Amino acid sequence: MDKIIELRNITKSFDGEVVLDNISLDIYDNEFITLLGPSGCGKTTTLRLIGGFETPDSGDVLFMGQRINDVPPHKRNVNTVFQRYALFPHLNVFENVAFPLRERKVPREEIETRVEEMLAMVALKGFEHRSVTSLSGGQQQRVAIARALVGKPRVLLLDEPLAALDLKLRKDMQQELKNIQKATGITFIFVTHDQEEALSMSDTIVVMSEGRIQQIGSSQDVYNEPKNAFVADFIGESNIVDGIMLRDKSVSFSGHTFACVDGGFAPSEPVDVVVRPEDVDIVPAGKGMLQGTVTSVTFMGVHYEVIVDIGGFKWMIQTTDFVAEGEHIGLYIEPDAIHIMKKSEYSGLYGDYASFSNEFDELSDAESEGSE
Amino acid sequence: MKRASKIFTALMFVFLFAPIAILLLFSFNEARSLSVFSGFSLKWYRELFRDTETLKTVRNTLVLAVCAAGVSTVMGTAAAVGIHRMRSKYLRSALDMVTNIPMINPDIITGISMMLMFVFASRLFGFAASLSFITLLIAHITFCLPYVILQVLPRLRQMDKSLPEAAMDLGCTPWKAFWKVELPEIMPAIVTGMIMAFTLSLDDFVISYFTTGTGFQTLPIRIYNMTKKTVTPDMYALATLIFFVILALLLLSNLTDSEDSQKLRAARRAKRAAAGKPPADPRKQRILYACGGSLALVAVAAAIVFAVTETDNKPQVLNVYNWGEYISDGSEGSMDVVKEFERWYQEEYGRPVQVNYTTFASNEDMYAKLSSGAVRYDVVIPSDYMIARMIEEDMLLPLDFDNIPNYQYISDDFHGLYYDPDDAYSVPYAYGIVGVIYNANAVDEADASGWDLMWNEKYAGQILQFNNSRDAFGTAMYRAGMDVNTTDRSLWQSALDDLLAQRPLVKSYVMDEVYNMMESGEGAVAAYYAGDYFTMLDAQADTVDLRFYYPDPTNFYIDAMCVPSCCQNKQLAEIFINYMLSQEPAIANAEYTWYASPNTLVYENQDYIDEMGEDAMAILYPGWDDFAAQYNTYAYRNLDGELLDYINSLWETLKIN
Repeated sequence: MDKIIELRNITKSFDGEVVLDNISLDIYDNEFITLLGPSGCGKTTTLRLIGGFETPDSGDVLFMGQRINDVPPHKRNVNTVFQRYALFPHLNVFENVAFPLRERKVPREEIETRVEEMLAMVALKGFEHRSVTSLSGGQQQRVAIARALVGKPRVLLLDEPLAALDLKLRKDMQQELKNIQKATGITFIFVTHDQEEALSMSDTIVVMSEGRIQQIGSSQDVYNEPKNAFVADFIGESNIVDGIMLRDKSVSFSGHTFACVDGGFAPSEPVDVVVRPEDVDIVPAGKGMLQGTVTSVTFMGVHYEVIVDIGGFKWMIQTTDFVAEGEHIGLYIEPDAIHIMKKSEYSGLYGDYASFSNEFDELSDAESEGSE
Repeated sequence: MKRASKIFTALMFVFLFAPIAILLLFSFNEARSLSVFSGFSLKWYRELFRDTETLKTVRNTLVLAVCAAGVSTVMGTAAAVGIHRMRSKYLRSALDMVTNIPMINPDIITGISMMLMFVFASRLFGFAASLSFITLLIAHITFCLPYVILQVLPRLRQMDKSLPEAAMDLGCTPWKAFWKVELPEIMPAIVTGMIMAFTLSLDDFVISYFTTGTGFQTLPIRIYNMTKKTVTPDMYALATLIFFVILALLLLSNLTDSEDSQKLRAARRAKRAAAGKPPADPRKQRILYACGGSLALVAVAAAIVFAVTETDNKPQVLNVYNWGEYISDGSEGSMDVVKEFERWYQEEYGRPVQVNYTTFASNEDMYAKLSSGAVRYDVVIPSDYMIARMIEEDMLLPLDFDNIPNYQYISDDFHGLYYDPDDAYSVPYAYGIVGVIYNANAVDEADASGWDLMWNEKYAGQILQFNNSRDAFGTAMYRAGMDVNTTDRSLWQSALDDLLAQRPLVKSYVMDEVYNMMESGEGAVAAYYAGDYFTMLDAQADTVDLRFYYPDPTNFYIDAMCVPSCCQNKQLAEIFINYMLSQEPAIANAEYTWYASPNTLVYENQDYIDEMGEDAMAILYPGWDDFAAQYNTYAYRNLDGELLDYINSLWETLKIN
């Protein structure tokens, strides 16, 4: 696959505040790539740099090998779907979609056929002469996509395009976007803070935090092999505990030595150990590798979310078996359920559910006091 | 509670709309009066369209408003966009505040400061006359600008910031993105701003008053200057017309947004679709309608006015500055003296001349304008005491009487008067004598003599006294046989005591209100000028029988034509003065103003005597034995500032106590 966009050592700050800190990223042709991170992580700024709405303080933006730092937006073969769609309210649906073609002086007949084609693709045939302000959120979204794609850009930038839609519609649109990307073969660069959305749609996920890229990889990679505590915590739920790597495939944490599948650390190196809540099995007390007391149980539909106190550290476990609060239980963890990470600046910040359960306790306390 | 709020709402509407309703009603009044409705008539509308001077000012006002609205809309929009795009938040809010200041600033301050600036700038760059149409236009643009910005800026802020970015993303240059996306988005605010600027410019008086120059007068200024006499009812007609034009504009801009019109458009769209035509974009249409509608209205109004007034461009210009309503102007079948002069001059000299005729409301207004040095007038018509002051300050030029042969017809009584003892600077135009007007149905004939009637306890609560210090003190001082120009403060003090004694009897202290109060019978006794008595007589209610007599001694005033030192064409000015003295225009003016004329060609003319009638002639020309001596003894003279301050402080004690 060819690289279509390269970001090289880009730094950008606004009013002295560093928003992007020396990031480098390659984006390949025909790829669905997602920039994922909490708000303020720099993902939208990255997108605007590619769109041409911002210029980097240092570093280069390359488009098919050409440096495009100083190319204005209207000369870039890149189109954007804006967060709030940015449809032109004074134009109807047809004219909104025809806008980029009219700008390029495409012949009238061609405009008609191409706009009709696009509207058919986003299932808005028959809406040509409706005012865009009379459309629902989902319909406006489709118009924005049609308008951005009608000019056949090499790359489509999508800035949290689904954030304003309700859950059901969002799921449908995720599927639809994925289909459109496959059908058109255009590179999609998608920005979101919703990890589920990112996992279900992307070929590649770029996890960002505090202006830096934390990890680049496929959905499976970032979920199963998070590089640090931030990624592990941001994507899915994780129990992250301090451990000591005794040797390859053997790790000690929570007062017990476990067999694992990772290796390549120095002997007795302190590490972060990640165990996903769904990978922990509950066994009768005394039979497991770890012993603990259940402090809270929440019914989530498909499973129960159980918080277990193990030597003062609160673990989250997702299980389909019911356990009662206050019960003593044992925990069993398979070797391949244990993921070992090097220590990072994020170590110790995430992965303890103590605050989670404490909050919960305080809430129920307050409630019981109130009812008395 | 509910009922109370309903009543409250109803009252509010009454307060809001009663004045307009009354204006509307009286614009159709047969008679001149504001208190008596004597029948439906379109007379005043007819008069309005015959009054070329007023129509000229309407045209001026419209031209000014269109120019000011146009320029300020373009500049204001550009400014708003500029402010909106500023990166610095502090600079943005600072600019925001600065643009708001002119709006909060009182008009009077804006007006004075702009006049000062124009005068200063023109001195700096050495222009002759600093105030002109251009300065007026600049002033109007200045005060309209903030209102346009105030409309456009919030609309820009409301706009999705990514709209222009989206346009650029889709292939527009930044400039094109503005035209194709931002401008249509803010267009409704721009149109509203323009309409606002238009109406603001249309009705501005204060700022215009200070910044307008020679020969360019707007309608509000003209109406204000009519207060020497009462505002004529054709102004009610004009105000009614303006009200409806503005109402139409307002309805139009609201209609484009209302639900009804949306339904209407939906129906139209369906029809177009049925006809196989591509549908028009509704928003674009709405904006088009609003723009087109306002432009069409302005154009129609302008066309009407242009059709009635001439728009020629004559090389020779004569600038005349006179009191409002003080020349025969062609209304009610009278002679249009200014127009006739232009015609006569063309015939006589074979060259065209254009008279720019503008008006003032008081001697002090005129003096302020002239002494600012910002205007150029060729002929002015001030009153006696002001002429004395202007001669003293070298503001008048000695006349060349070879150019004014008609001066021979001025009565001998008007030579050697105190304000111009050598008859070098002025030619008397009209004069008036203060008399006492009373309602014979309320006042005993036996009591009607001398100044004592105004102190007669029998008529307590029906006496009207002047609401200005000089005239009010005058009544007391004439009554007591004092010199009205005395510098002896104790005499002024004793006159105050007389006024204090009179106060319980006084219904109210009045100036222009005297007309309506006497016409309706609300007041029974008032001192005023003989000419004005006839105006009241014309409009008195059926139950009122107004009569008039002269107390002795009493006040005289004389207004005379002069050439100010800023004159640019003295000979032309003198030709005009001479023309004003010739029989036909002089009689027309005397008949129009109802003031006495010093011109023998007028008051000895049989047609004039017949037209005025015996009674009126007896009142207007009572035949004083030694007019000049009487006048020089009893007429008000210019008092020094310190004494005037003292008199005003006495006056305040009367008004406050």
